[in-house]
Amino acid sequence: MAKIFAEKRVKITLKGIGLILILLGILAIVPSAHGAFPDKPIKIVVYTGPGGLIDISARKFAGIASKYVDVNFVVENKPGAGGIVALKKVIQAPADGYNLYACTKSNIAKFVQVGGSDYIDALSWTAMLMADPECIITHGTQDLHQWPDIVANALQNPGEQNWVGPAAGGLDHVTALKIWDAYGMEAKWIPFKSGGKALAALLGEQGVAYVGNPRDALGNGDLYIAAVSSAERLPAFPDVPTFTELGMSGLENEYMWRGFALKKGTPPEVVKWYDALFKQVTADPDWISFWSKGGIDIKYVAEEAFTAQVYEDAKVFEYYLRKSNIIQDEAVGFLAKIASGSSFSILSLILVMIWLSASYGVFKSSHKAIVGRVMIIGFFLLVSILFLVQSLNFPSSSDVGPAAVPRLWIFALIPLNLLLLYRTFRNEAEVSDSGPRVDIVFNFIGFLVVYLILMQVLGYFLSTFGFVAVGLYYLGYRKWKNILIISGSWILFSYIIFYKTLYVPLPLGSIFESLF
Amino acid sequence: MVDLFGNLVDGLTFVMGVIPILTITLGVIMGIVAGATPGLSPSMGVALLVPFTYAMSPTLALILLVAIYIAANYGGSITAVTINAPGTPSSVVTAFDGYPLTKKGKPGLALGVSLVASTVGGIIGTLILIFFSGPLAKFALKFHPAEYFALAIFGLTTVASLGGKNWNKAFIAAMFGLLLNTVGIDPISGVSRFTFGLSFLYDGFALIPALIGLFALSEIFKQLEGGDFSTQAASTEKQEWPTASTYWKLKNTIMRSSFMGTIIGIFPGAGATIAAFISYDVAKRVSKHPEDFGKGSLEGVAAAEGANSSSVGGALIPLLTLGIPGSASTAVLIGALMIHDLTPGPQLFLSNPDIIYGLLASLLIANIILLVLGFFGARLWIKVTTIPKTVLFPLIFAVSIIGSFAVRNSFFDVAACLAFGIFGWLLRRYNYPVAPIILGMVLGNIAETNFIRAIMMGGWTVFFTRPLSLGMLVVAAASFAVPLIQARKQQ
Repeated sequence: MAKIFAEKRVKITLKGIGLILILLGILAIVPSAHGAFPDKPIKIVVYTGPGGLIDISARKFAGIASKYVDVNFVVENKPGAGGIVALKKVIQAPADGYNLYACTKSNIAKFVQVGGSDYIDALSWTAMLMADPECIITHGTQDLHQWPDIVANALQNPGEQNWVGPAAGGLDHVTALKIWDAYGMEAKWIPFKSGGKALAALLGEQGVAYVGNPRDALGNGDLYIAAVSSAERLPAFPDVPTFTELGMSGLENEYMWRGFALKKGTPPEVVKWYDALFKQVTADPDWISFWSKGGIDIKYVAEEAFTAQVYEDAKVFEYYLRKSNIIQDEAVGFLAKIASGSSFSILSLILVMIWLSASYGVFKSSHKAIVGRVMIIGFFLLVSILFLVQSLNFPSSSDVGPAAVPRLWIFALIPLNLLLLYRTFRNEAEVSDSGPRVDIVFNFIGFLVVYLILMQVLGYFLSTFGFVAVGLYYLGYRKWKNILIISGSWILFSYIIFYKTLYVPLPLGSIFESLF
Repeated sequence: MVDLFGNLVDGLTFVMGVIPILTITLGVIMGIVAGATPGLSPSMGVALLVPFTYAMSPTLALILLVAIYIAANYGGSITAVTINAPGTPSSVVTAFDGYPLTKKGKPGLALGVSLVASTVGGIIGTLILIFFSGPLAKFALKFHPAEYFALAIFGLTTVASLGGKNWNKAFIAAMFGLLLNTVGIDPISGVSRFTFGLSFLYDGFALIPALIGLFALSEIFKQLEGGDFSTQAASTEKQEWPTASTYWKLKNTIMRSSFMGTIIGIFPGAGATIAAFISYDVAKRVSKHPEDFGKGSLEGVAAAEGANSSSVGGALIPLLTLGIPGSASTAVLIGALMIHDLTPGPQLFLSNPDIIYGLLASLLIANIILLVLGFFGARLWIKVTTIPKTVLFPLIFAVSIIGSFAVRNSFFDVAACLAFGIFGWLLRRYNYPVAPIILGMVLGNIAETNFIRAIMMGGWTVFFTRPLSLGMLVVAAASFAVPLIQARKQQ
């Protein structure tokens, strides 16, 4: 009897497996047989945190676009590295049109600086939707607030004026460099963390001029727009003269643009779908009235012209970024050459590995306490020296260069550690705060590493369920039902709160992503 | 002045309506949750809700966002006290004494004091915002980069007294934090530093994963190493809560830290964390029982929470009067204003006084609602400390992993969090304090960018020729030297 039952069970199991395989097969076929684009939500990838102008543009676009097409737009903020993090997300996904990159001219500056033309080539520049002219904002109650006076003053005192604005190497900085070139003047660019902080410095009379968007001057009576780099005066700011009117040509086309890009290789029918949508949105009265209030120029520039513009911008950026030493030339000198190469990365990796394995040895050693203390000091010294060598490769500048402050910390870190080393040997008796069960710690670190690796394959939910259950069991918790309940409720909680409510894109795992 | 009171009464009348009160309550609840979850910062809590506020009236939208902002600042202290996982960078300081109290089985005292200090601090900050925003904003504008640098140095000198006998190790930790902060693209020159060509390092190390790793994970590793986790953190017996006289004894600390928090909060970018560190340091120096600090001093909890909550009022001063964001959260508020077609800045006071005064009134009400909700809530989240460690530890790992991922949706941050956890555990084994690393990471950027800016604008001597900067540097030097001399004397 028992044998029959066992056979039956095997048969049922086999049947079950077969059924699952068939289902999986169907699931695998379904995506390739899907209907017209789009049949799932479209992600708009924004390269800043929520709240900035590009984020607002993306959200406004999503709101208006859903009037015209029956599709769910999800805005996903992927801030970091001036747009590179968001770009990587888009170009690592398939070229199916479901990831729309919300881009600005500032991205081009960063792409040129970090990746040469590779990053620009990776996208097809689908549409430019907005462009706002750059302008010069001054402090209205300061003596020096009219543009001709500022120019005259700068020509008399070359390099004395402080100009304030956002980060070096960005669009506003490059625009300032261009303006200075056109007038043959010199000034200093004092970069701030954000445009807002730079405006605060301008209001505090710490600078003469600020370069940015005309919108930035709204809402504060002390701010004065001295000149705008458009061909004609802006309807929203009729009193502001253009550079052309002020007698300088060649500065009538300095625009900050915003638009959308797709991964290169997106099917032509998908691009056509987007083209139609962009046309509808740019003609929408809501869209027009929302942006025109702030003096933002709504446009629709389609792929061909937009791409030409992008490559033109890239050329200008490259010229000025090289000129101001932000794009670095080949390293000179023997040590600098070592510091620049990828061999340096490998060397540092090896050194850290040696340190790690040595510290593992500490736990086996009979002189644990003193060896451990020396290992920590050794680690700090190792990092200091690695960083010091690397800092030889930073470009120098007339003022304080990018290497100055890190070296300041390093030169404090090294003597502090040497002093501690001396004290460690003099005072061996110091007790370390250790416990008897290092093995539990190492096992848990092992679980965590395995868990993180499994997360890439099995996805967040499955691997987390496993990790919590294993963790509970390992620590001696043996109520099976509770283990299931606790792990289950945690993944339910993270699904509802993080995945569904907060739109945290928890990884679904490569297995599941290839299925669906 | 009459105008101000009239406007304020109008604002209060509006806020006392049913819908505004419900909105504030909702905001406070969401803020507490966002603040208490490591990885969800106040600015994220605010930012996540911005899209939902499209359909609301601008005043209600702002009220909701500000309520979240206030409550999240408090919420960070809950996990700092109960599981040594500060939900926000500024509540690191709360953990110094809050978690030792939990370990002693008295989490109720820490939670009660942190709630009251938070709300009193919040209300004082708001009152200063209402009555003195004009002159304070003018003062803030005069702040030169040299003064920002001096403030950062002042903040760093708190390490000397934080470290105590271990000052050597404390400074190594602080310098290491400062050095870690230089990884990434240099904000001044735009050059990438110490990135080894890895794109995920361009923005450097995020603060929250470091915070979770160094505090929460290293604490668990330490307890795992201890080998004994059959017990609970706190007993299930009747909890001890602070009495009225406990609060009364802390009145000076709370008042002092609230004023300091508001003033430091005004300076755009300086914010809640520096305020909490400096206020804690001062409280320790003037206290009659400085030896209790770091071992469960209620004064320490009150100093930290009073300062970080009152800094909200300070941070709103430059936002409302100048249209300049003082912190990441207020930057999101500017975005929210713009979505509603309002331009932040001084003209908003004239063009839309109803919005400004509705907002100011709602700050007062939100703090009161926070006090009420927190009072009942504390009885709920204190239960966290009664969960057996065998269950608690795996769950804290799970929270830490998802929290560090959620900051930038990046796996690198998760790996960094784990690395910081292991490193923090090793450091604590050999008696290094880990908080100075966080302080270094918070202050590094302010110190460096303003150091370079000041020199670009005024040469090397600028730090000593500006009276305010010189004065702050002298105070900093004194605050650096005194604890070292004291430590020497004790030896």
